[in-house]
Amino acid sequence: MAEHTVKFDQASKPVKVPTGTLLSEAAEQAGISLTQPCGGQGRCGRCAVIVTEGTVRRRSTLRLSSEDVEAGYALACQSVVEGDICVTIPPQDKIERRLTSDRTVAQVKPPASYDASVHQSIRRYRLSLNPPTMDDQTDDWSRLQAALRNQSNIGAVQVSLKLLQKLGQVLRVGDWDATVILDSILWDCPDCPARLIDILPGHVADDVPLWGTAIDIGTTTVSLWLVDLLTGEVKSQVAEYNGQIARGEDVISRIIYASKDGKDTLRELVLETVNGLVETACRRAQILPESIVKTTVAGNSTMIHLLLGIPAESIRLSPFVPVVNHIPALIASEVGILINPEATVDCLPGIASYVGADISAGVLASGMSDTDKITLFLDVGTNGETVLGSSEWLVTCACSAGPAFEGAGMEHGMRATQGAIEEVWINGKTFESSYRVIGNVKPRGLCGSGLITLLAEMFLTGILDKSGKIKLDLNTPLVREGYHGPEYVIAPAEETGVGQDIVITNVDIDNLLRAKAAIYAGFTVLADSVGVPMEAIEQVLIGGSFGKYINVEKAVQIGLLPDMNWDRFQFLGNTSVKGAYLALLDHTLRTKIKSIAAKMTYIELSADNTFFDAFMSALFLPHTDITCFPSVEAAMLTKD
Amino acid sequence: MPVEIPKDKWNGQVRVVTLGATADQGGTRTSTVTVGGETTMPFMHFEGEIPHRPVIALEIKDRRPDDWSSLLLDLWSDKADDPAVWAKAAEEAGADLIQLSLSLTNADGNPTTPEAAVDAVKKVLAATGLPLLVFGPGQADVDNELLVAVAEATKGERLVLGICEDKNYRTIVATAMANDHLVIARCPMDVNLSKQLNILISDMGLPLDRVLMDPTTGALGYGIEYGFSVMERLRMAALQGDAMTQLPMIVTPGFEAWKTKESKVGVDVPESWGDWEQRAINWETITAVALLESGADILVLRHPESLKRVRAAIEDLMTAPETV
Amino acid sequence: MALSGIQIYKMLPQTNCKDCGYPTCLAFAMKLAAKQVELDLCPHVSEESKAQLAESATPPQRLITLKANGNEVKAGNEVVLFRHEKTYYNMPGLFVRIKDDLLADAIKEKVAAADTYSTNYVGIDLVLDGFAVEAVSGSSASFSAAVAAVRAASKKPVILIAQDAGVMAEGLKVLDGEAPLIFGAGAENWEAMADLATQYKAPLTVTGNTLDELADLVEKVKGKGIEDIVLAPATRSLHGELTTRVLIWRLAIKKNFRSLGYPVISVAGDAGDPAKEMVSAAQAISKYAGFVVIDSFAPDFVYPLIVLRQNIYTDPQKPIQVQPGLYEINNPKPTDPVLVTTNFSITYFSVANEIEGSGLPAWLLVADAEGMSVLTAWAAGKFDAERIAKSVKAFDVASKATNRTIVLPGHVAVLSGELEEELPDWNVRVGPREAVDIPAFMKQAMT
Repeated sequence: MAEHTVKFDQASKPVKVPTGTLLSEAAEQAGISLTQPCGGQGRCGRCAVIVTEGTVRRRSTLRLSSEDVEAGYALACQSVVEGDICVTIPPQDKIERRLTSDRTVAQVKPPASYDASVHQSIRRYRLSLNPPTMDDQTDDWSRLQAALRNQSNIGAVQVSLKLLQKLGQVLRVGDWDATVILDSILWDCPDCPARLIDILPGHVADDVPLWGTAIDIGTTTVSLWLVDLLTGEVKSQVAEYNGQIARGEDVISRIIYASKDGKDTLRELVLETVNGLVETACRRAQILPESIVKTTVAGNSTMIHLLLGIPAESIRLSPFVPVVNHIPALIASEVGILINPEATVDCLPGIASYVGADISAGVLASGMSDTDKITLFLDVGTNGETVLGSSEWLVTCACSAGPAFEGAGMEHGMRATQGAIEEVWINGKTFESSYRVIGNVKPRGLCGSGLITLLAEMFLTGILDKSGKIKLDLNTPLVREGYHGPEYVIAPAEETGVGQDIVITNVDIDNLLRAKAAIYAGFTVLADSVGVPMEAIEQVLIGGSFGKYINVEKAVQIGLLPDMNWDRFQFLGNTSVKGAYLALLDHTLRTKIKSIAAKMTYIELSADNTFFDAFMSALFLPHTDITCFPSVEAAMLTKD
Repeated sequence: MPVEIPKDKWNGQVRVVTLGATADQGGTRTSTVTVGGETTMPFMHFEGEIPHRPVIALEIKDRRPDDWSSLLLDLWSDKADDPAVWAKAAEEAGADLIQLSLSLTNADGNPTTPEAAVDAVKKVLAATGLPLLVFGPGQADVDNELLVAVAEATKGERLVLGICEDKNYRTIVATAMANDHLVIARCPMDVNLSKQLNILISDMGLPLDRVLMDPTTGALGYGIEYGFSVMERLRMAALQGDAMTQLPMIVTPGFEAWKTKESKVGVDVPESWGDWEQRAINWETITAVALLESGADILVLRHPESLKRVRAAIEDLMTAPETV
Repeated sequence: MALSGIQIYKMLPQTNCKDCGYPTCLAFAMKLAAKQVELDLCPHVSEESKAQLAESATPPQRLITLKANGNEVKAGNEVVLFRHEKTYYNMPGLFVRIKDDLLADAIKEKVAAADTYSTNYVGIDLVLDGFAVEAVSGSSASFSAAVAAVRAASKKPVILIAQDAGVMAEGLKVLDGEAPLIFGAGAENWEAMADLATQYKAPLTVTGNTLDELADLVEKVKGKGIEDIVLAPATRSLHGELTTRVLIWRLAIKKNFRSLGYPVISVAGDAGDPAKEMVSAAQAISKYAGFVVIDSFAPDFVYPLIVLRQNIYTDPQKPIQVQPGLYEINNPKPTDPVLVTTNFSITYFSVANEIEGSGLPAWLLVADAEGMSVLTAWAAGKFDAERIAKSVKAFDVASKATNRTIVLPGHVAVLSGELEEELPDWNVRVGPREAVDIPAFMKQAMT
């Protein structure tokens, strides 16, 4: 097969590739890492490059205008090398690496009743061994076990080879005084002997913290709390984008990527993220990662599978079965988390393919499994998980809402970072908008909360009809026919920080409508499947890091949240990491998560047409059945 | 043992819609047709009112169609060459209404002009006193162009302009409002989409007693079960008081049935399909009867024999049983 | 009354032991509520709950089975009045009526034709279910000869129609060991007919002019120990039959009125001429008959009815699908492009409408993606390069669209490389993600 030379402006030397090679593959060969948030599916347009010499075959020119193509732009993931070419990589914004939470985050208070000596499965014991003599030639390990038995009442202990290798030295360095760290209560085997995690020379003082971490692996963001297991205090909260994002922004893209020889890559990427967070948290607390002896991990089923290198393909294929929901206790070295190699890694249990440990942990954290009140718990995110129930029963479902509310896949969408418009108001007469920008800078795009308020305002001011179509006959230059059809200008180029008009297109609006319709349909069908009317729902708890920003009034006006008294809504923030934190502290709560997961009844929405019907009904502003939204109906009347 | 008759209590009613306008009412029709008004599911006379019987329209075209079955073309023979003659023949065949479907092109293959469309409509109006439904060829821009011209030229006739769809309704609704006509809102076999389109049309200011809805039904063997159930659901919603579904339903079993292979094709078909002509009539009749049973108020047919059979069924079903 | 999943859950042990094969007690309860499983699967349910649940589990309409030579026709067991509320389960059996004044050879000829009648509809072979033999001659000998002639020509289940119990007995003798339907018991002959039903373990029809009469007679027949009953209202008008069957179903399903909790038979053949008979049979199929007796047997008569039955009894809970295949839009020529989409109806409609609206000719290849939309099907592995290539071959697309340009939905741009491998001599293009952008795409990129 013919070979061609591809020269990248950013690479030191050209690469040779055979006919048919994707530009993105050629770039990788040249050592250039292109941003591919959509996983190389030609959806996001972020990998656009300029072919300055020669030509490529463009399979898809999505998100490129004909002028762009004229100017040589091509999507690296969708363009095929068929001759010698030179390629320029345009300067583009990398995915902004910003810590989504830091030291300014509100302090988490440990549960008032927390008592490490009762609740914590990790125990630290100070032992004083009798030194061996010619008369007592008992081996070191038996000596230690005897001391444990006599001084701490610990019967049997498991130990790894690694610890045996250093045992003799540690005992002698400490002059036969030693501190051992044990995992005394293994959740998956309560009758098993305790497991030795570490042995330290000498006696460690009581006020020296014992470290653990709670980790939430989100599809988009990974969060980690560093916790003193003795006091329950959270010493550090750190978060970072999941390094897998560049290989696909949703779980399906990741699963497919993994199934095509990408399993190891994805595992390495998420481990890099996790270990980076461990390092940051330890640096802040000025401790060594080796002193972390336990971690709990929550995350959706796909994320957990990918973290552990377990093939995830069966998750996306009918009948949608994960390889494992209840993962046995693991140790850090086998998982690849760079903390104490013997540290316990406890991956919390999931419920089904699309309802994972993040939700069982979230339910624990939300407290809904302890209340008699009928509670709706919404995780407003890409996977749109929903739980309904109370202490008596719990049902759950997931609906693919897509990343629209996270600003992804939008013409001018962005995450809730500096420069994002987070709230919009539209003048009903001039149709001009005013807005608030995170960080008080020139706007660069719109984040989820901005999109929700924008959609509500466009609807209430009549820029949109109820089916979400932009009305072109409004007699304002702010509504116009754009490249992707009708669009509305929120901020003209001169006001923005990106040098072009910030607009929302009808395609964007369709995406938002689908996202909100999926979430609304998800919880209404869930409620209907167990015969609970919406008005019987006593509280609505909203989780996900996105939850902090939702404007309830606007979210109701677009039909995302049910029309009920605002005092029934409560925002909980990241419930997944909070649940992981509680399970980290208290083994009884860990057991409780297990029973929550076992008790949750998963409802498969795709099993019949009910969901689709509810979805179509919700695919309207605010909803096809206006009687479900009396407050919005009233608001519409006053606008007239 | 006396059995207590279980009666469903409905609190909604289908809107009463009158098609066509007489001279007194600002039009030129010699009679009008009124449909709707039901307060119960189809033909449940024992528990509610069915003040107006379902009616039947026959479909004609502005010129001899290129794509109709030869069974129909042979039947109408040279009457199909002149819409006025055809309309008269349809009236004589027993139609309550005439549906005139405009062609995309004239016989020479040139696009149908607004003038030609208006001319055809006027000829039909002159030939028959029955109320008229006028359908565009089914391409948004052409429909808009032709129907606006027709609507303006026939102001006050209370014609039924077909068809409004979610992607293309604003122009037709606007012209119907300005010229005192009615519209048909058509959606592809989905309760929610039907309702949404009715809301959008209503939001434009057209009173709902000038709107008919066509839920799209499919033919026997080609998805009729979806149409059947969508109609039952829409009618139940209407009776339960949902204003946006309380519109009389118009269905086009003639169009649906006559585009199926069973009706269109007479040769090289399985022996188990039987006689072509009988099969074709049965196909149209059964499609119509199934839709009648699920709530149709207006049925548009193409074959006079089907009309006769469906008419007989309506007569029978509109009789209230004396005892049950 | 039917209990909800939560109500049933409260009667279960709530231990989530999984012994029933379901992950939670609530999941099992919801299956029970949907009548998709039997309570026996739970080994731990209390006797008290068992009794309570058994009551609510009894079907409101009794299942009746006609049997002959291993062939069965079932009716009843329906749980909803409108098919969209769930689904209808047991298609009404279609029976061709043979009168005993016909000669044996004529009977055999008619029966053989109907017996072997089979027509293929969307890949399914549809057939008639059996025969109804009616005693019109008044002679026992003629009746038993007619029954024997029918049985000689067909092995399908039979309905025996006679007023006189003596005549009926002769017919039953011929079919000993089968469970034919005895049609049947009226106000005068019910005791003798009930005795025959008991003797031959056969289901029995009960006739009455009004619902009161029907219910009365059902109770009398039940008093004789008969459980398998089919209702045969005497009314013969379309409006009378419709009203009667609607009320019978409502009473059974919504009021749990046991005296009328049985399937209904309709004798469409009594309507008179074939045109009326056809309408009567169509109504019977779409509105609540469990058995339909027809006189006319001509393929052009039977084929539409049998298709109607198939349509009405399709499970509406399954996603609405269109037939996979190659669709022609705006009269495409071999040089026009092929656009690909899935067979989910809404997806198909939006794509087809946009192409149609563009006025540009194209071939639309609808691939079998099990009725899912493009993204869902892709996510579930039902719409990949292999499947698309398979459709291209199955529908012989290459011979019709000789230009060999195929356009993928933008949402699955990722498949373009694999599709190129699957279809090496095709030009694979990626179209827009949204249907609304198709006209613009076709105008700009395809011309």
